Amino acid sequence: MVDLASTPKPAPDAAIETAAETAPAPLPGTSAVRKPPTTLERMFRHRGLTIGAVLVGTVIFVALFAPLIAPHDPYAQDLTRRLIPPVWYEKGSWSHIFGTDNLGRDYFSRTLYGAQIALLIGFSVMILSGFIGSALGLVAGYFGGKVDMVVTFFITTRLAMPVVLVALAVVAMIGSSLFVVIAVLGLLKWDRFAVVMRSATMQVRSQEYVSAAQAAGASTWRIVTGEILPNVMPHLIVVATVEAGSAILLEAALSFLGLGVQPPLPSWGLMISEAKNFMFFSFWLIAIPGTALALLVLGVNLLGDGLRDVFAPGGRS
Amino acid sequence: MSGPVLEVEDLTVTIATPTGPLQAVRGISFDIRRGESVCLVGESGCGKSMTSLAIMGLLPPAAKRGAKRLAFAGEDLAKASARRINELRGDRMAMIFQEPMTALNPAYTIGDQLIEVHRRHKQQGERIARERAVYLLEKVGIASAAERLGQYPHQLSGGLRQRVMIAMSLMCEPDLLIADEPTTALDVTIQAQILRLLADLQKEFGVALLLITHDLGVVARVADRVNVMYAGEIVESAKVADLFAKPSHPYTRGLLDCIPIPGKTAPGEELGTIPGTVPSLIGGIEGCAFMGRCPLAQGVCARGAPLRHANETHAYRCIVEAA
Amino acid sequence: MSTTVSTLLEMRGVTRTFQVSQGLFARSRTLQAVDGVDLDVKRGEVLGIVGESGCGKSTLAKMLLGLLPPSSGTIRLEGEDVSELPRRELARRVQPVFQDPYSSLNPRRTLASIVSLPLEVQGVGAEERRERSIAMLDKVGLPRRFADNYPSQLSGGQRQRVAIARALVSNPEIVVCDEPTSALDVSVQSQILNLLMELRRELGLTYVFISHNLAVVEHIATRVAVMYLGRVVEQTTTAELFRAPRHPYTGVLLASVLTPEPGLGVPDAGMSAVPPDPLNPPPGCRFNPRCPRAFAPCTTQDPRLVSDGEAAVACHLYTQPQNAAA
Repeated sequence: MVDLASTPKPAPDAAIETAAETAPAPLPGTSAVRKPPTTLERMFRHRGLTIGAVLVGTVIFVALFAPLIAPHDPYAQDLTRRLIPPVWYEKGSWSHIFGTDNLGRDYFSRTLYGAQIALLIGFSVMILSGFIGSALGLVAGYFGGKVDMVVTFFITTRLAMPVVLVALAVVAMIGSSLFVVIAVLGLLKWDRFAVVMRSATMQVRSQEYVSAAQAAGASTWRIVTGEILPNVMPHLIVVATVEAGSAILLEAALSFLGLGVQPPLPSWGLMISEAKNFMFFSFWLIAIPGTALALLVLGVNLLGDGLRDVFAPGGRS
Repeated sequence: MSGPVLEVEDLTVTIATPTGPLQAVRGISFDIRRGESVCLVGESGCGKSMTSLAIMGLLPPAAKRGAKRLAFAGEDLAKASARRINELRGDRMAMIFQEPMTALNPAYTIGDQLIEVHRRHKQQGERIARERAVYLLEKVGIASAAERLGQYPHQLSGGLRQRVMIAMSLMCEPDLLIADEPTTALDVTIQAQILRLLADLQKEFGVALLLITHDLGVVARVADRVNVMYAGEIVESAKVADLFAKPSHPYTRGLLDCIPIPGKTAPGEELGTIPGTVPSLIGGIEGCAFMGRCPLAQGVCARGAPLRHANETHAYRCIVEAA
Repeated sequence: MSTTVSTLLEMRGVTRTFQVSQGLFARSRTLQAVDGVDLDVKRGEVLGIVGESGCGKSTLAKMLLGLLPPSSGTIRLEGEDVSELPRRELARRVQPVFQDPYSSLNPRRTLASIVSLPLEVQGVGAEERRERSIAMLDKVGLPRRFADNYPSQLSGGQRQRVAIARALVSNPEIVVCDEPTSALDVSVQSQILNLLMELRRELGLTYVFISHNLAVVEHIATRVAVMYLGRVVEQTTTAELFRAPRHPYTGVLLASVLTPEPGLGVPDAGMSAVPPDPLNPPPGCRFNPRCPRAFAPCTTQDPRLVSDGEAAVACHLYTQPQNAAA
């Protein structure tokens, strides 16, 4: 996930200049001034961001340690113990906290392992599409002119294609697997990265420090990596979180339609799909993975919104 | 009208910031009479723009206004309802901003905008409003004014837009005109033209002008009276001739020493400077705000500076009496 | 006049055009931002370039810095064509100071890192880089303890000091200052001007000083070129220009300067208010529609820049025989 600690240095709120000039004289009446909050402090104060981070953090923790936490093998079927309700029902038992599904598999274990699939897809799609989109956006924003026209044409073309329909078509043609889902979504969902990076790069490109670096004889590579990238990073991080959440939802949708991850993998979307025949008598089968999915996507979006708020007022960039 | 058009007494503006309340304006008092032009001059962050917004009731939501008295033509603005302020604004109190492009609505023609102001406040029908718009556009030196009414703001140059802004501010015959850095965004030749126009119209219509600027050259040429602001306070107030003949606050003197004047300062010679920076206005200031940068500072300055009078109309706040 | 002073920068017929799009389906038009500028910058002088927005002074600065190639004409640095010089070589010898201290420093770098960028490009080792950067910061009045601060912790004047340190760290010969004090308060402006004058004396620098503020130019420049719509209309020594301006536009500019002298009122420079359309320059002298002294040939013939020793002016008042007395 986004490494909060490595975001560029805490930039104090620059709205009020408290810096002492080189004058030796002490400034009167400045003792009562509280230090402006650092980016990290602002993050902790932001409630949405904190909730989002806790939600996502929990899911990451669960995904990483699923083999240690899960009480049962998520694939082990036991047809004698089908559709046992969760522990909070009268007939539930502590041996299957979330009950079992129609094949008698432990639903708690499957939900835990489902977090792995969700995050794997979210991350992989984010990285693949993020790489394609940011590269296109950076190139378009930096070079402008004809290059920009070509990239903009690509973006518009891409935006004209409905993601779900194209994904359905591709999967229908070449068959579906985890890898195919990641590849299809990753190759389709780069548009927002490209749009945001293009405009962010254009904005940074027009700053005088980029001209200064050019006048210093710096190469294009040095300017892009040293001057532009660090300053568009906040935008990139925000888009990346939001896109990861949307990729997770899309995977669930594809899996629900039977065109995503294939059984018996414990994908949350697939679990919902498998549960739909039993939803009237065993409501938990659909409610549990549904809740998990909703909480994760909510967490990711809160995190993205929060990061946007925290980065926005920082520095006069 | 005999009394002052605008009376300001002990005006304060406090802005809530994440690090505490910022005292942008710390108890300033002045008034403006009919036909008079008063300047607020100071450097960025001295509170001059906040003062103008506070008078117009246009402060941002995070800012709070306080005043012992804030009266327009004898009417207490502090007690007036939001509706009453809206009635006055644009009608009897008008404002000209630094960047006319952001003050004009790009979606409407300038004719629409000029007429709308008049119709909102005067209810005299569109024909009269249109006649007045053409009359004023001609007054501000715009050729073929009637055709210009159909143009959009982006079709005009910066200087023309500022002329339109001035015409718009005069649509309802205001008693008070506040101009906040009206020529800062313009070229020098256009600046001179706009200031000339503003000064002429002010005399012709007899409005009270509050001009806010950082440029001492503008102050010298346009103002009748000057208030020098520093760190949210008026540190010196005088008639314009007195201020430049005998600047009495060390800050005023410092400012005047900083600017090169063709024919007066020797080229290449070191210019005067004011060392240090403006103190932070968060959490309040004790004593004289300028003491950290003042060549005359003494220990007692930490207890504040008394108000001194060089003559009846020339006052300054300093521990040292100007020679 | 003395010709012993060597010419450092030589501009001959420097022109830059831009294609201005007029909407999606309209044909784009050509904007002549800089049109046939001949100028020399001599070693050790401060050449002031004045003019109003859109006169092409900033475009000219960009070309001097190698940020923009001229559409035609040549710029020579000590006889060598700048367009043929390796980029680093030009960068080592010509450096900029820009207008906006808030956008000229990368907010994600420390001051030491910002100042050392030109050295980094030149391949100077990390340790020497840091030492030289800190020494330069110290020279411009920012003590060592600032070295690891970020720009957001600095005031506008301090930021401009950092920009000056960055420009000077690689020991350039020419510094192109594009409106270096326009965004600053007057009390800070005087500090920066003092610093620039002091550094020039100490390091023997040559400045190209671009500004719209004539009072500042009068104070710092030794020679001034006045630009109007992409062209140099007059150039001469600063003292001469302010004593006896020859081109009517120079006269208008000087008359528009508002010195802090009460009682003089706002001057009437006598120039028409209609600003020129740079996409559609008038025939003849480009200043003729606004010129208070325009006469017959101004609307048809384009006056050439005629030089006369140190001074040069492009105006029919000085070339037409019937007006020789003017």
